[in-house]
Amino acid sequence: MSDDRASGAAPAPGAPGATPASANPATPPRPARVRVTAPRAGEPLAPSAAGPLTGGTPASAERVLVASLIRSQLRVAIVCALGFAAALAAVAFVAALPALNDETIAGVPVGWLVLAFGAYPPLVAIAALAVTAANRAEDQYRALAERDEDDA
Amino acid sequence: MSDASALGALGALGAAAATSVSDATPASFGYAGIIIVTLTTVLVGALAVRLSRTTRDFYVASRTVPPWLNASAIGGEYLSAASVLGVAGLILLQGAGGLWFPIGYAAGYLMLLLFVAAPLRRSGAYTVPDFTGARLRSRSVRRATSVLVIVIGWFYIVPQLQGAALTVSIATGLPPWAGSVAVAVIVGVIVAAGGMRSITFVQAFQFWLKLTAVALPAIVMLVVVGGRDLGAAAATAFPAALGPAAVNPYATASLAIALLLGTLGLPHVLVRFTTNPDGVAARRTTLITVVLLVTFYVFPTTIGMLGRAFAPDLATPGTADSVALLLPGRLVDGLAGDLLGALIVAGAFGAFLSTSSGLVVSLAGVISQEVAGGTVRGFRVAALASTLVPLLVVLMIEPAGLAGSVGLVFAFTASTLSPLLVLGVWWRGLTARGALAGMLTGAIACAVAVGLGVLRVPGAGGALVDAAPLAADWAAWLQAALAAPAAWTIPLAVLVTVLVSRYGGGSPPVDVDRILARLHLPERRRPKPQ
Repeated sequence: MSDDRASGAAPAPGAPGATPASANPATPPRPARVRVTAPRAGEPLAPSAAGPLTGGTPASAERVLVASLIRSQLRVAIVCALGFAAALAAVAFVAALPALNDETIAGVPVGWLVLAFGAYPPLVAIAALAVTAANRAEDQYRALAERDEDDA
Repeated sequence: MSDASALGALGALGAAAATSVSDATPASFGYAGIIIVTLTTVLVGALAVRLSRTTRDFYVASRTVPPWLNASAIGGEYLSAASVLGVAGLILLQGAGGLWFPIGYAAGYLMLLLFVAAPLRRSGAYTVPDFTGARLRSRSVRRATSVLVIVIGWFYIVPQLQGAALTVSIATGLPPWAGSVAVAVIVGVIVAAGGMRSITFVQAFQFWLKLTAVALPAIVMLVVVGGRDLGAAAATAFPAALGPAAVNPYATASLAIALLLGTLGLPHVLVRFTTNPDGVAARRTTLITVVLLVTFYVFPTTIGMLGRAFAPDLATPGTADSVALLLPGRLVDGLAGDLLGALIVAGAFGAFLSTSSGLVVSLAGVISQEVAGGTVRGFRVAALASTLVPLLVVLMIEPAGLAGSVGLVFAFTASTLSPLLVLGVWWRGLTARGALAGMLTGAIACAVAVGLGVLRVPGAGGALVDAAPLAADWAAWLQAALAAPAAWTIPLAVLVTVLVSRYGGGSPPVDVDRILARLHLPERRRPKPQ
């Protein structure tokens, strides 16, 4: 049942030289109108020249670099997700404190207000942190990959 | 953009004109709100189409669309009836338990940002089946995902049409079915005619319309109420029995997980990310979306709390969702109150239109691709089918709470498509067999739980078990686990996916390393001039 894989469009695996030309298309003064149609099956994720930094099958050194990039991005995602879960739990805990539900602001118990609006500041802060961290990981990868290219 | 705001201003003028000539009954205000928002939506859509024809193609033009406009469009499509009406209704009905819904709806975009935004953009996929099929190089996975997308889309459209029924019957006095039919017809015709979707302007306009429609009434009501003595009303409005400390921890955690993880698998969410030029822009857009959503949800929350203080009589399952529509008229006297009411009606109607049409287009795209080979005629037929089926469902079943039934759709999505997307992006060991087994497990577990839960608790559509305190009682726990299944169905689906991938005899695609590299590697920087 799982053997019906569409034979993945196998591109020339070792053709790294093909990328620069197509990555920098000569922009015509007025691009022709492109009709957008339903994407054909298998089109996404097909290797594209304009796509990632390296086309073709990654060589072993690059493969290590890619794996470490994916690991560090996953670490960013998990740390941020856990951080937000902890913030949510803290908001829920604080909102449930009896002392805060005896106090009121404009007639509304403080606990209700904490639960209603308290989760949003950490949400925005963690989202901003995550974007910074993920972009930094990509910058590091770029720096390493470029150094490798220079060495080669 | 200036067109959109100009049209909005025209719409406001039109509303004023319409009311000055009419006999100014609330019904005429309601009609005005609905008609104006519909016409404006169609007009902005038509203008945007002309704009994109005279300049450049949509996908090329999208690269010049600033991220905040893109983020507005995402927010416009995402904010549905459950957000505009349902959140206030749940807070009125359930108290502090309802406060978790807006948190979950907004924070879903954090999970999307963390786990899938940039990789999905880099995948180049337009739909969820496109992504899963290509990631696993499997037609069966693609087909199974398509079926799930269609089911989820239908169940997500149902609450939109129910919200339309409620809004139209309150605003105009017409029978409820008229609202459902009206939205279904408008959406079906617009989508089948080939417009509206993929047009960033329309959805961005819808976001700002919805924000205005909840923010202005909420602020005006706060100002009006600020001069009043709350007195005894406030003391009974926020009872400890419905307070933050009284929520069932299991049900709350389960709901939060469903909402957090459900967002990233919703059928109409993914396609918006293709309008970002690259992965970095996809992240920035998602971050702005989070900010916009947080800004938005402050106001339905406020309206819900005001409702607890000033409209306790609406706190029944059948009427709670109408609180946002009725409260402005009660708190603000005269013409101003009627206008604010009409504004919320317009915003709510806009929400049904934008979310439903986004869903119908996603569904029609998937259906026509699977069945009709992606032809235009197939797309049109599929668009009509995508609207008709939920309409029939709505006309047959009893309406449940809006935010509650949307919460169940999130739980289903979070148990089926979301684990597959997250594992597909991050785990190279995923196999087609594992993906199929996981989706099937999650779908069956969730469907059985929801089915049994509804049977056990007649009339309760919500995912929160309000009447079940934390008791060491088997029946209470079982009921909670059935009513809020996400906390066990998601781990179950993930576990099955991982186990079958490991030991099920299949193997990952041969080019899995290249696929993952495509997902995660940053785009080449603009080449330096030589």
